[in-house]
Amino acid sequence: MNESPHGSSTITRLVESFHRLPGIGPKSAQRLAYHVLRAPEEEARALAEALLDVKQRAVLCGACQQISDTDPCAVCDDTRRDRTVICVVEEPLDLVAIERTNGYHGLYHVLHGAISPADGVGPEDLKISELLVRLRRDEDDEADAVTEVIVATNPNLEGEATAMYLARLLEPLGVRVTRLARGLPAGADLEYVDNVTLERALAFRQSVE
Amino acid sequence: MPARVPRVTKTEAVVLKRRRFGDSDRIVTLLTPARGKLEAIAKGALRPRSKLAGHLEPMTHVEVMLAHGRTLGIVTQAQTIEPFAALRDDLERLSAGLYLLELADRFTVEEAEADAAYVLLLTALLRLLRGDGHQLVVRSFELALLEAAGFRPEWHRCAACRSEVTPDGLVWSPLAGGLLCERCREAHPESEPIDVSVVKVLRLIQDAPYEEAARVRLNQRVAAGMEGVMHDLVRAMAERDLGSARFLATVRHTRPADEPASLDGDVTYTSQEPLGASGQTGS
Repeated sequence: MNESPHGSSTITRLVESFHRLPGIGPKSAQRLAYHVLRAPEEEARALAEALLDVKQRAVLCGACQQISDTDPCAVCDDTRRDRTVICVVEEPLDLVAIERTNGYHGLYHVLHGAISPADGVGPEDLKISELLVRLRRDEDDEADAVTEVIVATNPNLEGEATAMYLARLLEPLGVRVTRLARGLPAGADLEYVDNVTLERALAFRQSVE
Repeated sequence: MPARVPRVTKTEAVVLKRRRFGDSDRIVTLLTPARGKLEAIAKGALRPRSKLAGHLEPMTHVEVMLAHGRTLGIVTQAQTIEPFAALRDDLERLSAGLYLLELADRFTVEEAEADAAYVLLLTALLRLLRGDGHQLVVRSFELALLEAAGFRPEWHRCAACRSEVTPDGLVWSPLAGGLLCERCREAHPESEPIDVSVVKVLRLIQDAPYEEAARVRLNQRVAAGMEGVMHDLVRAMAERDLGSARFLATVRHTRPADEPASLDGDVTYTSQEPLGASGQTGS
């Protein structure tokens, strides 16, 4: 008797591998596995190679801690970028989101998380010491000295805790620490907006030009 | 005929924590007065235009409408009652608030009556909001919550045999849950010396009304001693480390030197109790 529910141990192994991915339930895992089975061999090979490549070639940029193919990453290596400003983000995807705006031309620093004590994530688990080392190193180089750190952590409890903690560590270094503005998202409905957001949107209101 | 369970119920709650669920939803853990701690799905809470997300941040006092799902409740509406916004703008108070939330989460179980814990948490958060000293708010919450959970620490007699303890060379054990007499300390190799001033202040916070305890002035040594004792006790009772207790300590170590420690009140407490002869507590 074959113990594999799919009649093939290789398919079962693939289903189980997909099932381990976040957000993939048992049915989705089966659909994905059978899709790969029916797909042309080149497609399956490309998927397998992409999976291996990401494990073998992706490295952390020694400066900004972003995941990259090279160290330093393309952003840190770009001499046209403003090296006096560092934007601190929680996750690699936050950097991607800010880059997509085309409105920021400084450098970045990725913390790889936010302070969340109840989940066991403390300041020592984030790339904070790397940021401090970077700022102290840049202090010695007049031309590239960082004058502003923009804290772009999420506007939630963990993000606020991280931002305040960072501000406390960075201010003694003589760097201007700023925070992303907080207010109403595009397309919001005032009736449903929470008090904190509305209060801050009022506090940081701007002239209509 | 059994009473029909309403399909949607309205309740007040304090949001303890939340986690991602799929691409756009969150599961929030709520502490409610009538139903205790419960988890519910906030659908679409990860979307930028969510009507729920802003109201369901941890450390928010909220009114929610809960629909009964197959496994978890579903939050259909949420309205903030008190956002505790000032706590989010102050690292000391925020870290103290996070500790209160984690404690409340650790010492309550799901779908079991937690009236006392709810009232204690809300009261402690409101006290932090009005600017009461963190030490007193946190210590008072710890002691009251442990008592509500059935772990009332013993600061008067021996926690093991209930006999009298003498003020000289006091020792205590987190596993025994309080002071130990000379005879029982041998059975508890983990027992440690404890400062008589620390014991007196802990007794006062445990037994006296909050306002009376709020008049006590503590020095750094007693404040630090009480914090160490209570963190060890909480760790022993919760049977694990509390990440927020560690963060609280980290935050204190990074406090700028010119900022005073958060001490409470301005009147020195004179003990009328038999323990200790000096009378003045921690001054």
